[in-house]
Amino acid sequence: MKILRVAAEGFHSLGLNKLRTFFMMAGTIVGVAALVVIMAIGRGTEQKVMKRVQAFGPRAMMIIAGGGKDLPPPDMTVTTLVLDDAEAIRNEIDGLEVVTPQAWRFDMDLRHESNQTQSVVWGVEPQWHDAWNWQVVEGEPITADDVATMARVCVIGSAVKRDLFGDQDPLGKEIHCNKVRLTVKGVLEHRGVGGMGGVAEFDNRIIIPVTTAMRRVMNVDYVGAIRVVTKDPALMPQQAKQIRDLLHARHHISPPREDDFRIITPMAIAEMVRGTSGTLSMLLIALAALSLLVGGVVLMNILLISVAERQAEIGLRRALGATQRDIFMQFLTESLAVTFLGMIVGSLSGYGVSVLLARFTPIMTVASWEPLAVALAFALLIGTFFGVQPARRAARLRPVEALR
Amino acid sequence: MIELRDIEKTYYSGNVATPVLHGVTFRIERGEYVAIMGASGTGKSTLMNILGCLDKPTGGEFHLDGIDVVNLDDEELSHLRNEKIGFVFQQFHLLQRTTALRNVLLPLIYAEAYPDDAEDRADVALTAVGLEDRMTYRPHELSGGQQQRVAIARALVTDPEIILADEPTGNLDSRSGIEVLAIFKRLHRQGRTIVLVTHSDDVAEHADRVIVMTDGTIAEDRRVERPRDAERENAERTENGEQREETVT
Repeated sequence: MKILRVAAEGFHSLGLNKLRTFFMMAGTIVGVAALVVIMAIGRGTEQKVMKRVQAFGPRAMMIIAGGGKDLPPPDMTVTTLVLDDAEAIRNEIDGLEVVTPQAWRFDMDLRHESNQTQSVVWGVEPQWHDAWNWQVVEGEPITADDVATMARVCVIGSAVKRDLFGDQDPLGKEIHCNKVRLTVKGVLEHRGVGGMGGVAEFDNRIIIPVTTAMRRVMNVDYVGAIRVVTKDPALMPQQAKQIRDLLHARHHISPPREDDFRIITPMAIAEMVRGTSGTLSMLLIALAALSLLVGGVVLMNILLISVAERQAEIGLRRALGATQRDIFMQFLTESLAVTFLGMIVGSLSGYGVSVLLARFTPIMTVASWEPLAVALAFALLIGTFFGVQPARRAARLRPVEALR
Repeated sequence: MIELRDIEKTYYSGNVATPVLHGVTFRIERGEYVAIMGASGTGKSTLMNILGCLDKPTGGEFHLDGIDVVNLDDEELSHLRNEKIGFVFQQFHLLQRTTALRNVLLPLIYAEAYPDDAEDRADVALTAVGLEDRMTYRPHELSGGQQQRVAIARALVTDPEIILADEPTGNLDSRSGIEVLAIFKRLHRQGRTIVLVTHSDDVAEHADRVIVMTDGTIAEDRRVERPRDAERENAERTENGEQREETVT
């Protein structure tokens, strides 16, 4: 095939001037790399969203005390969310599987003999285990009886167990919390870090009956939040509205007054997670677009210069029998080969940057093959768009004048 | 073989017409060795461009190997150049940083059908000009005379009807010039048609026939009584050179 031989001439002349070839590639490399990183970040973000939503509970909603627009931690000074609100939601809203109030305090000092640690104390109802899908691996969970009797018992997280008991068996042992003695009746399964805004260490907590928490440990008559799990996720927006209306009525809130609670849904969590990487993506999209454009213009300029420089070569080729089309194809091949090579180098560097980002920054990235398809399309587009004009100019040189 | 009749060429630049050739007529038969002479500005180069199918006349008739060249389009002219004409230029026009072998293969790339034995042909062509041991050398590793011989091999590789040489010795010292002319002489002896464009009497004397251009027309078209034999001159020169070297050492 003649066209292959002509294309080989294009490759050959690229190899003759490697520095020039590199400059022709530079824009494509940066642009494609940025594209690949953008898409890796996009995928990473979606995976993060999935993970957060999964950790939060895809069927769960949290009604949190305190107004405003920020996500947790809740305002602990707001006293209006009470156990009766939870009872009302349980009775009046249809399609809910679990409704469980919880009160909590950060930075509580725990002590067992001479060992001390700081922990988050959660006052919960028995449904809490199901609402969070979080069971005990040793001993017993919190029971309805514990709640009814304000029992002085607790279930501890694995980090608390490690800090207070080391290798000892904690079951039946006593710990002191705010001068209240609690007997350890169970240990929660290990869950790691993440969850509410990503700041909570899950395992650094103890759970106690909500009544015990309110009356004995915290001395309050309100709760921090009510967790709700729906039977059908499709009903969630509607149920959120019903809960809002119910609480408005119970708390006597009408429009001009701000809400004294917030309802957090998996959708809100997803939006929050996406928000943080959105700006970075916009920046990278701008960078990609700019470098592809500038790179294309540079490519075209270098090609035009090279056409001027290589007039004698073009004239010679014409004299030896190259047709206008042969010359056109050779220069277009050079342009396409450059952008194609730039695409490969750019993809590899983009992949490398994605891996580095994932390892050394909080940004999560997931590499995939789709960006390669997009990058290939872009490379061919740019190679053609910016290569045709110089190639046409080369083809139109008159042999007699080119040879002079 | 080559037949020109009343060839005219006028260049137009805006409204200004510059006639360069007015009515050139001659025939060159297969196997002839012809020198086209003339000072610069006599239309010698323009005539060469037309003979090389690089440019078309504005008037007259031109038949090459029976083909009516005047009515061909650009693509057909390209194919014609590729098949029928072997160019040798004053400035050699080799691709830099490219091996002699690859330079010689260049015309075959543009052939309609790339021959299976292309490399063998290039090999034969390079051997014919005495460069069988320089195949992988690049132009900057070769002397001027060697570069011009690579160019001659490139002209030969397609087995063209005509070798068209434009001042082939113009950039060479006299010794390399004789070497190149010796190659032409041998090709002529083997039956090739050679058209050599030059302004130098010395060079023209090697041909069998000289056509002299003046003011865009043919002033003279004559046989050379006793053409110089570059092959013999070159052989003698080499012998003398060797003898000289012996006396020096």
